[in-house]
Amino acid sequence: MLGVHGRLLRIDLTTGESAAETLPPDATRLVLGGIGLASLLLLRECPPGADPLGPANPLIFAASPFIGTGITTASKIALAARSPQTGMIGDSLSSSYLAIALKRTGFDAIVIQGQAPEWSVLTIDGERTALRPAGALLGRDAGDAAVALRAELGPGFRAATIGPAGERLVRYAAVANDGRLAGRTGAGAVMGSKRLKGIVIRGDRLPHVADPGGVARIARSLAERSLGPATAKYRELGTAANLAFFNRMGVLPTRNFRSGAFNGAERIAGETLLLEHRADRHACAACTVGCEHHYRTRDGGPAIETRLEYETLFALGSLCSIDDPNVVLRAAARCDALGIDAISTGGTIAWAMECADRGVDLGVPGDDMPRFGDGAAVLQAIEAIGGRQGLGDLLAEGSRRAAAIVGQGSDAWAMHVKGLELPGYDPRKLETMALGLAVAARGACHNRSSAYEVDFSDRLEPASEMAARAQAAAEAEDRAAVLDSLTLCKFLRHAFDDLYAENADLLTRITGEPFSGDDLARSGERIANVKKRFNERQAWTRALDALPPRLLASDANAPSRIDRNWLERAIDAYYAARGWDAAGRIPPDRWTALGLPDAAPAGEA
Amino acid sequence: MTMPPPDLHTVELFGVPRLLAGARAAEAVGATLAELAADLARRVPALSGPVLDPASGWPNAGYAFVVGERFTRDPAHALPGDASILLVASVAGG
Ligand code: SF4
Repeated sequence: MLGVHGRLLRIDLTTGESAAETLPPDATRLVLGGIGLASLLLLRECPPGADPLGPANPLIFAASPFIGTGITTASKIALAARSPQTGMIGDSLSSSYLAIALKRTGFDAIVIQGQAPEWSVLTIDGERTALRPAGALLGRDAGDAAVALRAELGPGFRAATIGPAGERLVRYAAVANDGRLAGRTGAGAVMGSKRLKGIVIRGDRLPHVADPGGVARIARSLAERSLGPATAKYRELGTAANLAFFNRMGVLPTRNFRSGAFNGAERIAGETLLLEHRADRHACAACTVGCEHHYRTRDGGPAIETRLEYETLFALGSLCSIDDPNVVLRAAARCDALGIDAISTGGTIAWAMECADRGVDLGVPGDDMPRFGDGAAVLQAIEAIGGRQGLGDLLAEGSRRAAAIVGQGSDAWAMHVKGLELPGYDPRKLETMALGLAVAARGACHNRSSAYEVDFSDRLEPASEMAARAQAAAEAEDRAAVLDSLTLCKFLRHAFDDLYAENADLLTRITGEPFSGDDLARSGERIANVKKRFNERQAWTRALDALPPRLLASDANAPSRIDRNWLERAIDAYYAARGWDAAGRIPPDRWTALGLPDAAPAGEA
Repeated sequence: MTMPPPDLHTVELFGVPRLLAGARAAEAVGATLAELAADLARRVPALSGPVLDPASGWPNAGYAFVVGERFTRDPAHALPGDASILLVASVAGG
């Protein structure tokens, strides 16, 4: 097959050895690449019960057939490991020139195992690998470390680094590259557990493409379409545009999900930020859209400029009752520098703020407890988390673990699914999203579920049949999986008239083998099943497909509540739509029917 | 004293429509969404072109109305007197 190398690079940090291996020949046909490939490899490589922060947990980087072909937005690197935050599948995706560098090495994926004897930087230069001492990079911010590495090794190298939070095994630490973060589920902590401060990659071997002229023509057309109305919102305002609208709809998580509307929303709305704080607009690697809006602080303090996405804005803003845009911008910049996921950071701080409200003892003096609306406390908490100092050591565990440690009923307001803090969509008014969040394999995640698209459309009536809603949630998840596995940006999704057929055509022209739209849809299904299978092997039970109790309880301030019986019936319907049994497990014949027998590892639980 | 027309509505604007109009809301008259959109395009010329089709006033691809918290691009959608109407990007969410 063209367009891919069909090889992976295995690196054992304990011994320093590396070896090239052949990928399963049908890997691209089964799961495309990117997140699909990383998940499939993780299923094969990670033993059941492996300590997520131990040497047996592999850290996997994967590329896709689209990378390096000039297709706009497709330069994204996929990571997978067992998550130290959830214990389930951990996968994340980040735009980065590192993706192109990896593809140029002659490998489609890298599997990193073991633990380096000392803090190190892994260098991959084509087929050659080496470990070098991390030395003075230790303790440095994620972005600074990458700049220093490239300055030392040369601009031909691309870097992925962790910040101080990854070094200290903050469970939601991220991996940074080119100013973006592979943020969710704690890949930065896995990298830290392997004593890897950074990975630098260089290569010069892109695979041949079957129909270069055809691919270039479609890539040009897609680039043109990427500048049309389908992406106008992202170009003009960025994802920050969501905030004011979500607030109006009553789905803006506020004060640790006590409410779906925030009094201070207009102060931190995307429209306000654009008029009063706008600095610049940037694009990710190989992207023609350029939705990354940067903003400048204007509070008389040392001025900073930083990128800001909606998820960061809600998590460090309304969720913590912060309506000062300068505080949110400073907090966002520090999350990036320390290398921590902003959603889980905000979600865990909001949990602590509610503890303070309720008089729960977190082992620190009352004056040191963060309070809703206290911007200085948010900034202080972020530093403490990054350094695991004082209260930060508890908060670095994430809301689920922190609540389990503290007790005192505080799990009632730990807003997570499977240990992953909820994104900025209050599911009490978004029914399909409520189901999508409950069942998502990596925990509460808008990106992997995408079910909000159904709620923010006229596709389903509120009183639609449960089966139709469940089917819609599963299909949304499959579409997201296909995009993540072709490593295309989701913001491009509406630039296609037929997402599956057009991308199947591209894949055919790249690989030289026929792919149909139905093949892609099938791959989406497979990827959802691979992730689920991974979770099954890591002690998943149906009880984990749930929503936080707060969302199911009556609360005068809340927009509404989700009926517990409704949710259970919706989960039943989702399992049925997936062809899973009533306990939510994949029947053997379903697995086989998806063409995945070889992917099932021996000795599974 | 002149009474407002019975089908005068307030349209709340979000995102690009709000930036272009320089206002959080605008008024427009219409018994259906199609009539309302055409009147909105006349009253707020800044929306005509980038957001609303200059000929029909109907939202371009990429924009939608939300009526009573439901997304719709149905021109025949009838508007009750107390309808809550939002003009937004049709790509809601991340
Ligand atoms: S559309 Fe935005 S998020 Fe997507 S690749 Fe481009 S700049 Fe990055």
